[in-house]
Amino acid sequence: MSSETKVRKISRIEDILNNDVWDVDYEPHIIVDYTKCKNCEWKPCLRLCPAECYTMVGDEVLFSYEGCLECGTCRIVCPEKAIKWSYPKSGRGIHFRFS
Amino acid sequence: MGLDIIVGIKWVPNTTSVNIDPKTGTLIREGIPSVVNPHDLTAVEMALRLKDKYGGTVTAISMAPPSAISGLEHVIGMGVDRGILASDRAFAGADTLATSYVLAKVIEKIEKYDLVIMGHETIDSSTAHIGAQVASWLKLPYIYYATDIEYEENKESIKVKRILENAYEIYRIKLPAVVSIAMHTFEPRRIKVSNKLKAKLENVIEIWTSKDLNLDINCAGLRGSPTVVSAIDFVPKVPRKNLIFQEKDPKKAAKWLIEKLLEEGLIDP
Amino acid sequence: MKDIGQRFDAIIIGAGPAGSTAAYHLAKKGYKTLILERGRVPGSKNMFGGRVYIEPLKEIYEDFEKKAPIHRWVKKERISLMYDESATTIEIESTKSTSFTTYLTQLSQWMANQAVEKGAILLSEIRVDKLYRENGVFKGVVVEDERVLADIIIDAEGINRLLLEEAGIVERLSPDHVALGVKEVIKLDGKNINQLFGLEDNDGLSWVLIGDITKGIPGGGFIYTNRDSISLGIVLMLGEAIKRIDRHIYLLVEEFRNHPLINKYVRDGRIMEYSTHLIPEDVFALRPPKLYYNGLLIAGDAAGLLLNQGYTYRGVDFAAYSGYLAAKAYDYAHNNGGPTEENLREYTRLLENSFVMKMLKKFSGVSKLMKKERLFKTYPELINIMAGKLMHIEYDSYKIMEALKEAKKGRVGWISLIKDLWEVSRKL
Repeated sequence: MSSETKVRKISRIEDILNNDVWDVDYEPHIIVDYTKCKNCEWKPCLRLCPAECYTMVGDEVLFSYEGCLECGTCRIVCPEKAIKWSYPKSGRGIHFRFS
Repeated sequence: MGLDIIVGIKWVPNTTSVNIDPKTGTLIREGIPSVVNPHDLTAVEMALRLKDKYGGTVTAISMAPPSAISGLEHVIGMGVDRGILASDRAFAGADTLATSYVLAKVIEKIEKYDLVIMGHETIDSSTAHIGAQVASWLKLPYIYYATDIEYEENKESIKVKRILENAYEIYRIKLPAVVSIAMHTFEPRRIKVSNKLKAKLENVIEIWTSKDLNLDINCAGLRGSPTVVSAIDFVPKVPRKNLIFQEKDPKKAAKWLIEKLLEEGLIDP
Repeated sequence: MKDIGQRFDAIIIGAGPAGSTAAYHLAKKGYKTLILERGRVPGSKNMFGGRVYIEPLKEIYEDFEKKAPIHRWVKKERISLMYDESATTIEIESTKSTSFTTYLTQLSQWMANQAVEKGAILLSEIRVDKLYRENGVFKGVVVEDERVLADIIIDAEGINRLLLEEAGIVERLSPDHVALGVKEVIKLDGKNINQLFGLEDNDGLSWVLIGDITKGIPGGGFIYTNRDSISLGIVLMLGEAIKRIDRHIYLLVEEFRNHPLINKYVRDGRIMEYSTHLIPEDVFALRPPKLYYNGLLIAGDAAGLLLNQGYTYRGVDFAAYSGYLAAKAYDYAHNNGGPTEENLREYTRLLENSFVMKMLKKFSGVSKLMKKERLFKTYPELINIMAGKLMHIEYDSYKIMEALKEAKKGRVGWISLIKDLWEVSRKL
């Protein structure tokens, strides 16, 4: 639980995402082949995934599927085709209500 | 032949996503969708595994407004045979005592059953009362924190494995009985088209009102609820520090973590 | 793999505007129709900018105006060219309206309900894994270890079209052919909205903003007023964004919301939802080679049936109308010997003869035009500097041409300027 996201300043992505609703699946719907990330200098996923599911930890890409908004951007911007992408099953994943 | 199992499910707001309005201090409930209480899905999975192994039937029961039919459809989609929704204005405002009373009356009316399985607790209130209370209303044996159930057909009993902090206990109990399943024991199985179709087309969901149940209306709903919520306090929001220690050696990382926790006074030296 | 006991006339993949409209019209004609939706409820995976054009929907749904979840009627349109802390805005106000704002999540649910009322069977929480094909004929879909069969499959799976890709009908989407939309929905009191934007009752505003809010990346910002919230977001041409984005994309939305000319509208609000979606952009490039196959029709975003008008999109009415025509095409095929490729070709004929293809052809040059950086960077700059010179008077005053000449200095030559102006006026 958290309090509201301030609209008068730049918020952190975590705080913005806090306003969304997920029923997170227990099985990731996206699998990243990190070995391919090593060859990728560009890494457009870091900036273009709107939920910032891709981050750098040290010199390695770290992906977490829990906050995924299921837009499909990472799959198509990945120059290494390192992302095995599908939608969550059984109604899980993001649940938009006001969009 | 087989086991006739009843599973209790609750249709709860998806509390992972509830925010607080800072002006009023109340929960922002607008548009919060409901889900089947995740711990109840664990119970449903246990019941379906028993059905797969020994045969029999699984009936899901719930007490809620009619919107909870979606929750019953969800578990029927997983493979539950039928759903019964106890739904009546007279049931509104119930605490755990009044809820367990109505659920017990539903179970009594079903009559033919061997085993009642519940989730450990709900994510919206976390009391873990319902299993124990239903068992007491029905005067049945009750075991909680179960992680596995085996059916002993000849003895008309089950063997229940129960998890403790550092050990397992194994009980043998006579049927009928009530068992609640430790959280995260199983992942619920996937929803199938054929099952979901059944939920839509085959009248497998019934709604029972107070008239259908042989109950004392003074024990149900708000009237049957002695619990009083005197106040709700929110845990103050502690700003997160977002420290990331980028070290691959696990020993060094652990040492760093302990140092940080000591610094914050979160663990004793 | 086992077949489930029942067989359907039609299986619709996806309960979005295209899928539910197709289902509604099929069920209405008495076809046994099954809609499979991966979300928990229809709409829960849908997202759009905020505005729907109504005319085509009035044709395909009875009493649409009275029954559909309409938030506000757009009677005020603003287009702003932004540069730094100034904006040059054109505002068009009218007493009549042909479009409304809403949440697509609500509208999708409403459309799905219409289909269910006509007898379609809606199964949510069902993700289709694969199209099932036998001897070159599409005969059903696969979910987990089960197969569901039908006479016709209408694929309205949306922009990512994983199923069409798996079936070998389309290639993986190219970032050059899509745009990425990201938005925040901000809760505000309805009266407050009316006051802030000079609106009355349930009148609405649509506002498109072009310029340095996207940091020179082709695209723009948008604001729509809903009943008691506003939708605020940005759209970026994804292919260009890959090359040029210099910060996290969510920051562009945050900076847009915090822009001094924008923040005054939202400062009493709170964020209700953050959402994102890919948008067909170069609709000709991403369209499948055909929209009809033996036993299969493709509708909505999956088919690239969306109109890119340059400064704004028309998605919902195009998607819904394509679903309507897909239902019509199947009905025709059914009455003429079955859903063979030859018979289903009727779908293309219907599309060609409708406003859908006419509009798509009319705006066919837009996508290329939209990749011109000058349009999103240079001209908003130029116009604002020019306007600034005309309005911000200290001692000396400027004449218009003088201001323009000053403003364009080092930005663009006369010839390019005139060429661009000509191109824009022709293609938009």
